[in-house]
Amino acid sequence: MSTADNFVGIVVHAGGNVKGLFGPRFLPGVVAYLARHGDGTSPEGTPEVKAVVCVKQVVAIGDEIAFTDDGKSVDGDYLDHAVNEWDVVAVEEALRMTEAASAAGEESEVVVVTVGGEENEEALRRCLAMGAQRAIRVEGQSGALLDPLTVARRLAPVVAREAADVVLCGVQSSDSVQAAVGTMLAELLELPRVAVVKEISLDRADGTATVMRELEGGLVDVVEVDLPALLTVQTGINEPRYATLRAIKQANLKEIEVVEPSQDAPGCYEILRIYAPPRGEGAEMLEGSPAEVAARIVELVKARLS
Amino acid sequence: MGETRPVYAGLSHIEVVLFYGLAVVSTGIFCWGVARLVLKYRAGRREPLGRLVRRASSMVDVVFSHRWIRRRDPIAGLGHLLLFYGFTALFIGTTILGIQTDIARPIFHADFWSGRFYLGYKLALDIAGVLLLAGLTLMAFNRAVRRPRRLGYARPDRRAGEYDRSLYRVGDWVFLSTLFSLGVTGFLLEGFFLASTPQHFAAWSPVGWVLMKWFRAMGLTGSSAALAHHVTWWVHAVLALTFVASIPFTKAVHMIASPANVAVRDPAAGKRLSTIAADAAPEDVGYRNLDDLSWRHLLSLDACTKCGKCTEACPAAAAGLPLSPRDLILDLREAAETTLGAHAALGIRPDGWPEGLDVLGDPIRTASVWSCTQCMACVEICPVGIEHVPIINQFRRQLVERGEMDPMLQRTFETISSTGNSFGEPKRRRPKWTEGLQFAVKDARKEAAELLWFVGDYASFDPRNQRNSRALAEVLRRAGADFAMLYEAERTAGCDVRRAGEEGLYSSLAEANIEAISGCEFERIFSTDPHTFHTLKNEYPGFGGSWTVLHHSELLLELIEAGRLELRPLGYRVTYHDPCMLGRYNEVYDAPRRVLEAIGVELVEMPRNRDNSLCCGAGGGRIWMKEQRPEGSRRASEQRIDEATSLGRLDYFVVACPKDVTMYSDAIKTSGHDGEIELRELSELVLESIGAPTDSATALAGTKVAPD
Amino acid sequence: MSGTIIVAEHLQGRLRDVTRELVTAAATLPGPVTVAIVAREPERIAAQAELEGVNEVVLVRAGGDEFENDVYQAALQALIAQRAPEVVLVGFTVGGMGYAPAVAARLSCGFASDVFGLERRDGRLVCRRAFYGAKVHGEVALPAGRTSVVMVRPTVFAPAADGASTSRSDMSIDPVTPRARHLRFVEAPQSDVDITTADFLLSIGRGIGDRENVERFVKLAEQMGATLSVSRPIVDAGWMPAARQVGQSGKTVKPKVYLALGISGAVQHLAGMKTSGAIIAVNTDPEAAIFDVAHYGAVADLFDVADELERLF
Repeated sequence: MSTADNFVGIVVHAGGNVKGLFGPRFLPGVVAYLARHGDGTSPEGTPEVKAVVCVKQVVAIGDEIAFTDDGKSVDGDYLDHAVNEWDVVAVEEALRMTEAASAAGEESEVVVVTVGGEENEEALRRCLAMGAQRAIRVEGQSGALLDPLTVARRLAPVVAREAADVVLCGVQSSDSVQAAVGTMLAELLELPRVAVVKEISLDRADGTATVMRELEGGLVDVVEVDLPALLTVQTGINEPRYATLRAIKQANLKEIEVVEPSQDAPGCYEILRIYAPPRGEGAEMLEGSPAEVAARIVELVKARLS
Repeated sequence: MGETRPVYAGLSHIEVVLFYGLAVVSTGIFCWGVARLVLKYRAGRREPLGRLVRRASSMVDVVFSHRWIRRRDPIAGLGHLLLFYGFTALFIGTTILGIQTDIARPIFHADFWSGRFYLGYKLALDIAGVLLLAGLTLMAFNRAVRRPRRLGYARPDRRAGEYDRSLYRVGDWVFLSTLFSLGVTGFLLEGFFLASTPQHFAAWSPVGWVLMKWFRAMGLTGSSAALAHHVTWWVHAVLALTFVASIPFTKAVHMIASPANVAVRDPAAGKRLSTIAADAAPEDVGYRNLDDLSWRHLLSLDACTKCGKCTEACPAAAAGLPLSPRDLILDLREAAETTLGAHAALGIRPDGWPEGLDVLGDPIRTASVWSCTQCMACVEICPVGIEHVPIINQFRRQLVERGEMDPMLQRTFETISSTGNSFGEPKRRRPKWTEGLQFAVKDARKEAAELLWFVGDYASFDPRNQRNSRALAEVLRRAGADFAMLYEAERTAGCDVRRAGEEGLYSSLAEANIEAISGCEFERIFSTDPHTFHTLKNEYPGFGGSWTVLHHSELLLELIEAGRLELRPLGYRVTYHDPCMLGRYNEVYDAPRRVLEAIGVELVEMPRNRDNSLCCGAGGGRIWMKEQRPEGSRRASEQRIDEATSLGRLDYFVVACPKDVTMYSDAIKTSGHDGEIELRELSELVLESIGAPTDSATALAGTKVAPD
Repeated sequence: MSGTIIVAEHLQGRLRDVTRELVTAAATLPGPVTVAIVAREPERIAAQAELEGVNEVVLVRAGGDEFENDVYQAALQALIAQRAPEVVLVGFTVGGMGYAPAVAARLSCGFASDVFGLERRDGRLVCRRAFYGAKVHGEVALPAGRTSVVMVRPTVFAPAADGASTSRSDMSIDPVTPRARHLRFVEAPQSDVDITTADFLLSIGRGIGDRENVERFVKLAEQMGATLSVSRPIVDAGWMPAARQVGQSGKTVKPKVYLALGISGAVQHLAGMKTSGAIIAVNTDPEAAIFDVAHYGAVADLFDVADELERLF
């Protein structure tokens, strides 16, 4: 059956202006597990548009650092926590998609998923405060040091169960810079995927999305991908909204579903040790007042350019 | 029968009936208008009102002393004082006559309006009439001849042509001339009556007597005088009844609304901001719709007399930013009147007014809401107790809830939320400034101390301020003070977070700090940061943390007075800038001045000092927002340096607030007065006075660069 | 299992530099080095892959002219199945990110990305990569006994020089129907400036704090005779066009002088400028990573320094 003429595409570009609206029906299922949409209608009570976003609470270190005794981690006292910048952008992108659907009177849902300990629920709270409807935490050791394959494997059953139209991940996390979890997860779920996306236009009539991949050197690759799909989102695609602490506190009252991870297979690497990076020979430091520094800079520039 | 006069002399029976008929209509309109006002206020959010007796007595004090009205403009203050007492006396006189005519005589058959009472009455009312006219003349002189800028209706928050306030001007003059005409016709009535009906006690109405003499000299006597009296009586009566009817709908409404607002005002307005219910829906946070305003705030809109003292005092307006506290109130008032008040009931909608109750965006522009430094200059000077600062703060809360704010501010909130400080520094770096000290500062979490130093962000992380923190630490050590800090456990106190409208973040900061402080053993807390000092002292009690909190200027004074510091006079000539949060918010004006006196420096006051101090422009979270700088404008901080340097040769511009250190260090450079004056923080001068070596740390000024 | 397979990266018919760098990286590992070219007509690119240190070029005839991740994934999986290499090297690039992790997930390979050093130790491949936002380095060991997929950080290894002609072989794979299809390229909006050819770049980063300050540095650059370039946050914020961006997702530059104001030096940024002739960095944070690659550094407020520079030029 086809009700293609009922479909209206959605266009979400970098500025986030929604040019079109979701249609009343679903994308044709591509992957078998998307039984939810198998017959082209959505069962009673399930949202018509659903996005799952995988998020991570990242750590940041200042200029002081101390390592744990085994040399495999950083002393927790030296770490500050935040939601990964890329993931916040992905959540914002998902919210914009579903809000457009809601504005058209459709049910929509954004579900956020993380892997980590209870202390990492903070990241989920922030996403709930931004407007995500549900949050799921896959129980597990948190931190920057989990290998990406293990993370992807833990996420996979939960994300599969949610059967989303679009799965979004940040391109990478600011602390471990793997840029791998999203692509691995797509593979485990057998979802079409595109990495490093800076613009998304969903066209549900075609069951595709047209996305812009940002290549090195500023060239943009325009790619058409079948839906449902997993996209890893690059910063700059939108300006994420603010989650007030009040909203975060209210989100504290929301239930977060906790899922036990499946049995772990060995990861894709083992950390042998971590260490403070060797300093390069370092810069020659220019001392003195700003005026003196500026004078030296001028001197250096002139010497090099002449 | 003694001295008196007939009340409706020369009026026919029908005319008296007509008069009573008109009086009923007039009173009816007045009552309807007042009822509409009450209904309008009732549309606002409920807010309990207690301590009624204290409120009433405070109102009587403020109204009858004219303490507030007289400030910063004694001429207008005197004018209003005269007309207020004149008008009040005349009103009482008319009421007495009414009681005599319509109650005492018809019901009790009593006549008290005669004899000596009548003569005293006549004399008193003549004097009152003179006071009224003198006051009005002074007000007219002020408006027409002196013309202070604040009485003009030019809006700093709008471009010329974007608005029309000409009706306000008309309203002002109509109001003034109506009262004037009432006074003049009153006296004319006396004169005509005496001219037509000679009385031996005429001199008890001196003005009437003089007029009578004059009329008689012109040959106006007998029936012609009686006719003039008759006509004037009607003019006076119609004018008076019209005036009464118009009170709820014109500028005259302030006669009711202003005293009422003074009575119901929040004495801690702006100083202790309200909390938000934990379960509030996003759309209910702060103010967006007119009916989000509390009933008190709706009432306060009608209290405004458009005197413009708020806008005159506003640092944002002075710097050319799009904010005028007066016009914000007037915009709200027009909107409230149009959608909730009498205008709404009558279906009068001026062009361009939105139909809905939503005022955030239009006419209350977000740029105006964000321009405010929450410095309290407007609230402090308002003669009728309007609470601009908390109203603006409520609008901010709604904007924050929607995420409609400066990206820099949003980033700052996020940074504070994740690191506990606005500099985005790891918490371990908070005590780093103490590394330059020759001694270790006690850790309050581990050992008891007499004093707990809540250092605050700027004093902890900003290089220029770290120097001052070390100076104070050294002074305290020399004085043998027993003090400790919270080290990593301290977080931003949140004063400016709250004033920028992020109440949720504020409450979590307050709770975290209260928990940290509560785990320590100490007697009193102090801070060098007036913002921190203020919120700890006045707002933390609302979150469960009550302690004795001092500003370091108070602590220094205490140590000096106890003789614990050996001071040598420095002999400098300085001026001192009152920080908003220390001065207007907490009325600590003398402690820093007495410290300066003790260290032997000559203090030259700037014209705007103490309660009239001009905000540096950093407050209310403005320091975390993109600077708006309209073409050709001068920053408030630069205007302040202009003001200081106009006092003649000064050695130092003395401040007692870390944000002032940052703002005025910059302003000295950018105002074109570099080299003319230098900045010193109070502690630095005290350190110099006790002869300790000054900190050798470099004077790094400027902002922290966030990592890529 | 033996040897190293490098998956060549090419764009619009040209082999990308990162492939040359991978060849250099492969030289540190035992066994022969094979470069695989996946394209509709791989022979058109083959000659460019004949580099010093390359033992064989495999032409995998698959897909279209340009990159599509399903095609590359199928090709790499077929290569691993057929050749059982010890190590597969892929660039840590936007292209690589689209398929290399997927292959690792599919075949349960050892995997590490953003690798800047690798060696064989005790029978395992040990890779060096950064953690905690580059504040910390770490060594990770990939499991022995199966192929390791390693994504190597660009610009770390020197590009391999052209070499003699090497043996070529062909390989075919089952046809792939890509689920994500390349449609076209869009040039980033052309700008009148080309930061890659400038001799003197004045580069600004997040430290400038505010959009309104951009104008000031545009003027300062003009005054100093420099071309203005920026770091990623400035482009993300929309304050300057992407054409001005230095770094991995922007342009790689090599001016005679690179003056960085308020740039702390994210790895991706450093990758785009670290080979500049003279790097001068001004930052308030003495620990900023930019000082590691800078030749001259100053811990100072960039606005103070800018004030003085304005005065001096």
